[in-house]
Amino acid sequence: MTKDPRLQVLFIENDTDKASKMINALDPEKYAVSHLRSGNTAFLHLVEKYQPDLILMDVESPDRDIVESLSVMSAANPKPVVMFSQDEDTNTINSLVKSGVSAYIVGDVDPTRVRSIIDIAIARFDEHQQLKNELVSTQQQLNKQKTVEQAKIWLMETKGLTEKAAYGILRKNAMDTGQTIELVAKNILSVATMLEM
Amino acid sequence: MTSLTLGFMPLTDCIPMVVAKHMGFFEKWGLDVTLVRQNSWATLRDKLHANLIEGAHMLAPMPFASALGLAGKRFDVVTPYVLSRQGNAITLASSIFDECAQLDHEGIEYSLPLPASRLLALIEKRAQQGSKLTFATVYPYSCHYYQLRTWLAQYNIPVDAVNILVIPPSKMVDAMKRKEIDGFCVGSPWNAQAVRSGIGVTVVTSCDIWPAMPEKVLGLTRRWCEDNEQSVISLIGALKEACAWLVPLPNRFEAARMLTDQAYLGARIDVLTPSLLGSCLTKSGHNPRAVPLYNLFGQENGTHDNCPSVSQGEWVLNQMVAAGHVSASSASKEFVADVFREDIYHCAINAHNLHRNCEKLPA
Repeated sequence: MTKDPRLQVLFIENDTDKASKMINALDPEKYAVSHLRSGNTAFLHLVEKYQPDLILMDVESPDRDIVESLSVMSAANPKPVVMFSQDEDTNTINSLVKSGVSAYIVGDVDPTRVRSIIDIAIARFDEHQQLKNELVSTQQQLNKQKTVEQAKIWLMETKGLTEKAAYGILRKNAMDTGQTIELVAKNILSVATMLEM
Repeated sequence: MTSLTLGFMPLTDCIPMVVAKHMGFFEKWGLDVTLVRQNSWATLRDKLHANLIEGAHMLAPMPFASALGLAGKRFDVVTPYVLSRQGNAITLASSIFDECAQLDHEGIEYSLPLPASRLLALIEKRAQQGSKLTFATVYPYSCHYYQLRTWLAQYNIPVDAVNILVIPPSKMVDAMKRKEIDGFCVGSPWNAQAVRSGIGVTVVTSCDIWPAMPEKVLGLTRRWCEDNEQSVISLIGALKEACAWLVPLPNRFEAARMLTDQAYLGARIDVLTPSLLGSCLTKSGHNPRAVPLYNLFGQENGTHDNCPSVSQGEWVLNQMVAAGHVSASSASKEFVADVFREDIYHCAINAHNLHRNCEKLPA
């Protein structure tokens, strides 16, 4: 079975009229919309099962906390969430968007606007995820360097070596054992801790 | 008069804000406050960030979550005032409680608060069947979630031995009725609601798990605090009077009546009153448990006040670290002191005293 090329949208809305209005606004060739009346526990299973590309819901829905919990507490990957508001006051929507809320609010159900907002939401979400991933990898890199640095210092202090010689030992050991320098450094440090006990 | 909008979630512990409004304390302090009921913690938080509301009834861990950008954009939120302590409880579905009692020979019904160890036999039985007990809580960064973890951890039950998911407080009882969850940790009045409906047994309260720790706080953005010093002092003044008003027991029933209003909770008086009067309903047809400090709003026995002390802030943040929500390196004392602003609280109290002393001076 080939993967559905359409954008998988999970739409949470209790009001059936509002729901069908929104669904009609979305081009069925581009969007596959699954409609759910309320986010109960079944909803969690649905998200895990369908792996939607996007969740669409009202900003005043009590179910928003369930959606927000997905990225923290469940195995489901974080999903971009597009929220719409029934609030006539466009200030509400604009202020929320400007303050950088985690989602994008659609003021009314204008098909062209809904589509472009969905596209922007996904692009921004991907960008945000990428930044987050880069941050994690930078932190890992920093931790690696810190471990190597500590192992080097321990060698220098206990063996009276120069920095260059200490690093040479780490590198040779890594090459001889086919391990990364970081792993060798880690092993040295755990031995060092044991010796100091 | 300064106009302010405060957001609250429909829970018993929003009562200091409601009392301050209804008893005219806000007005006395020169504030014209509109209270706006919210539907989710996430939207309440976003509205605070966006300055659509000036202050919010927040879960104690939420200002830390905002300041660290744990969900969405990082935003400097502070708290200068603890609105309430305790008020949560864990309720098991009646069928789960009965199953526990059958597997246990020590007379489970007479040993409330229930130690989580009494769940062990059932957890093992479920594991053999390839399933897990499912608990619900109200929000990832909530005292409720961390209390549930603590309760399990106190008896060496690994957190992943059960499923934990999030459901809005107002939908907990229905989810239990539909047997989607086996238990929940939630604030008043939803535990009492489950017992009154005959579907749940409240087995332990947050007073048994974390005595006297901050539960809800007044959340403000740092920027608003800096630009509106006088309003912050007045807010603290009015809320302090409301919390003091809530200490005498006879006032508690009046407070419960205020909450029955649709604009606040719209819940029934027989569900709202017990926790406010220090009564924990346990099981349909059984006597309630006396939990005198179930809902704590201020000075009781002169021991607790509304100060967001840095040490208690550290304690809250450490729960977030233990749950893996915050890295230990972020949890410095300086960071805590930037969020739990005991300095603002003390400044406000000093300003109140100064004001009072000035009034006493002869003209």
